[in-house]
Amino acid sequence: MRSISVFRRWQEVERLRAERNAVANKMKGKLEPSVRQAFVEEGKNLKEALVALEEDLVQLTDRLQQEAQSIPNITHPDVPIGGEESSIVRKMVGCQPEFSFAVRDHLQIGKDLDLFDFDAASEVSGSKFYYLKNEAVLLEMGLINWALSEVTKKGFTPLITPEIVRSSVVEKCGFQPRGQNTQVYSIEGSDQCLIGTAEIPVGGIHMDSILPDSALPLKYVAFSHCFRTEAGAAGAATRGLYRVHQFSKVEMFIFCQPEDSNMYHEELIQIEEDLFTSLGLHFKTLDMATGDLGAPAYRKFDVEAWMPGLGRFGEISSASNCTDYQSRRLGIRFRPSLSDASPANSKKGKGSAAPTQFVHTLNATACAVPRMIVCLLENFQQEDGSVVIPEPLRPFMGGLQVLSPKF
Amino acid sequence: MMKMMMISSGGTALQTLRLAPSLCKPPSLQTLTRYRHGLFRGPPLLPSLLRAVSSPALQPSSSGVEDEKVVVAKPQWKAAIDFKWIRENKDLVAGNIRNRNSSANLDLVLELYEKYLGLQKEVERLRAERNAVANKMKGKLEPSVRQAFVEEGKNLKEALVALEEDLVQLTDRLQQEAQSIPNITHPDVPIGGEESSIVRKMVGCQPEFSFAVRDHLQIGKDLDLFDFDAASEVSGSKFYYLKNEAVLLEMGLINWALSEVTKKGFTPLITPEIVRSSVVEKCGFQPRGQNTQVYSIEGSDQCLIGTAEIPVGGIHMDSILPDSALPLKYVAFSHCFRTEAGAAGAATRGLYRVHQFSKVEMFIFCQPEDSNMYHEELIQIEEDLFTSLGLHFKTLDMATGDLGAPAYRKFDVEAWMPGLGRFGEISSASNCTDYQSRRLGIRFRPSLSDASPANSKKGKGSAAPTQFVHTLNATACAVPRMIVCLLENFQQEDGSVVIPEPLRPFMGGLQVLSPKF
Repeated sequence: MRSISVFRRWQEVERLRAERNAVANKMKGKLEPSVRQAFVEEGKNLKEALVALEEDLVQLTDRLQQEAQSIPNITHPDVPIGGEESSIVRKMVGCQPEFSFAVRDHLQIGKDLDLFDFDAASEVSGSKFYYLKNEAVLLEMGLINWALSEVTKKGFTPLITPEIVRSSVVEKCGFQPRGQNTQVYSIEGSDQCLIGTAEIPVGGIHMDSILPDSALPLKYVAFSHCFRTEAGAAGAATRGLYRVHQFSKVEMFIFCQPEDSNMYHEELIQIEEDLFTSLGLHFKTLDMATGDLGAPAYRKFDVEAWMPGLGRFGEISSASNCTDYQSRRLGIRFRPSLSDASPANSKKGKGSAAPTQFVHTLNATACAVPRMIVCLLENFQQEDGSVVIPEPLRPFMGGLQVLSPKF
Repeated sequence: MMKMMMISSGGTALQTLRLAPSLCKPPSLQTLTRYRHGLFRGPPLLPSLLRAVSSPALQPSSSGVEDEKVVVAKPQWKAAIDFKWIRENKDLVAGNIRNRNSSANLDLVLELYEKYLGLQKEVERLRAERNAVANKMKGKLEPSVRQAFVEEGKNLKEALVALEEDLVQLTDRLQQEAQSIPNITHPDVPIGGEESSIVRKMVGCQPEFSFAVRDHLQIGKDLDLFDFDAASEVSGSKFYYLKNEAVLLEMGLINWALSEVTKKGFTPLITPEIVRSSVVEKCGFQPRGQNTQVYSIEGSDQCLIGTAEIPVGGIHMDSILPDSALPLKYVAFSHCFRTEAGAAGAATRGLYRVHQFSKVEMFIFCQPEDSNMYHEELIQIEEDLFTSLGLHFKTLDMATGDLGAPAYRKFDVEAWMPGLGRFGEISSASNCTDYQSRRLGIRFRPSLSDASPANSKKGKGSAAPTQFVHTLNATACAVPRMIVCLLENFQQEDGSVVIPEPLRPFMGGLQVLSPKF
């Protein structure tokens, strides 16, 4: 209804403008003073009416925008309808490891191996902060280097991104920096925020641009620290590294043509599954149900890995196809090639006659470090308190094979 | 319009909350006056106090300065400042303040300290009197006698409460003024401004180029290593994306620095990058000063760190470490965030001055008698690292005018940057002696007997009195400036850049950054 009233208002404005132009035209050339005066009067009235209507139009348009922005993306037809319990298992890899001894959780293992300090961090920073120490530092650096290396090999361009961004960019990606229970930290005295994921600065890299068709797909793998308030997460699993305010993450991001996004979604989840399989993790991939999709996601696959210390599966990654939800907000278009387009990016450039379209965007977690550390410590713990490092990581940890207790 | 309202209302409300404290007039001046009257008149105390409160405040000469300098909020924490030592060495301290161009007001501190001592004595005297009266009331007494004692006791109690309040405010004021007194200075440190700094060591020499030298921005453009333009849109100026081999370069530098320093016996750490603002202050920074370098988080008392020195120093705050634990040596990796407010006009091009960067930092907690030695050790590690990369650099002993308040002595390393055409700072090594530890509350117990090997917070045990540790910090690798150095020094005519040997194993064996044709 609102869009109809905007449309009517706009029609009204156009009509008045036409009238005003007509009056202006009538005033060209010689006229009797009284006739001219009448036209001047009419012109003035029209102008006043126009100004008022144009103001209305601006306010209505803003209001329309505001309301419409909260309409979520449409949904892939195969997505199950319902809440969390309706999500479907697409794939199951591996099986629960069996232990001949009492399983420890990552906090206990970390204590025994002197890997973390949550207490000091609580004093210095607050709850849900931590220091990584000793081999845990090697573990984090190893995971990041390994993930970057593996995904770069698959043709993704590596990036290191800003972690402070303008709040408008956060919003354009589909997050709400100033909502209640917002996940987003804001910087005092500015319009800037801390990112909760590299998805935001990577999506923003091409904002307000028209990409040539030949440039697509653009595939990035980005490393950043991520900051989340975790407001509203009370009661959820919060122990140790499972839910923290700051963590390292390697994120994959793709800009592509609309007809290819489903295909790239499959490609991204395949990359994730290959990565986690290579580490020997036991996990399942879920096709998330409609009640569990974020507003931007057309379809979302989550990977949950078995965490023996937690005694259940825990989310370690998420792969979303956002189709054109983010690109319509970030202003990222491409020009389908009908003729030779210039290979360089151009902002709002003119050129060939094909009308521009919005790209599709996808994002997927290659490696969220703290949850991976939970998985590695809990799954590969030995009876004597040591932890075996999966083979693929060893070259990225100076060849280290085992984390051993120090006696 | 509705949209604008939604966004601005939240922001404004928070801004107002932050401003409120500064609008309150501190009561301290009134209280000081009240006390002064009481002290000079002697008993009975109460009537004088009443009179003093209603009389206009006396203005001794130093109060004029007090009025201008009185800033606001009661200190959230106390530094364990050695007032006695300051008083006994006031000429040294005054000279030091002058040499460092510090705005600390030593005279005021000493004056407040005297008042504090006097007031403390007075409070104790009143307490003793009250106890005496209480004792007198034990046992049988005539009702009228008892009543008189009760009256006296009540008067003493009221006077005591008022004086104790005064004491608290005076203590706060004393803290506030004293906290700005800078650390003392190593006797070998040159006195003066930046130009007085002395070159301790010079390594290497300016590379010669047979072609026109490019700066790192140009090289980065040719090799598709950075994007400053997109970052400007997404985040603002002085932000950047690293791309392609620059990502390898950053990861390589971090991994290499962590590896090299860990080999020398330092414990590796990855630290929080959000900390309580009180911890920032205790390390000697000013999160809420004008032109502050510190980003604050909206709606909280937290800030972003500008250096890992802060969370590492904080790791042992409010602790007593056993003697045997020292020295504690850490090498910490973190991202660092700096507003760079007030840096206008300074070199700001490209990677030289940015709001966010990666840094590997060394930090040592040690016994006081060892800090000079560890300072030498830290600068030696830095010089070895930079020499191994083939950089041309000089180490400076920074002059008094260039020392931050916490630093007893500071060595800066400046490396030759061909694109910039001059030397640029790539690292800093400071001996903060007990400046930070007195604020962070980090002590150790010298071993006279067997102390427990585990850390204990405020533990009791052997009889030796605790002392404050000394702290030191030094940059192992500040990534963007190192990238500037590597790109500009090792550029080739064809646009490629040779990777120094020590870094190659940490970059998957990559030997050269080559242009893509």
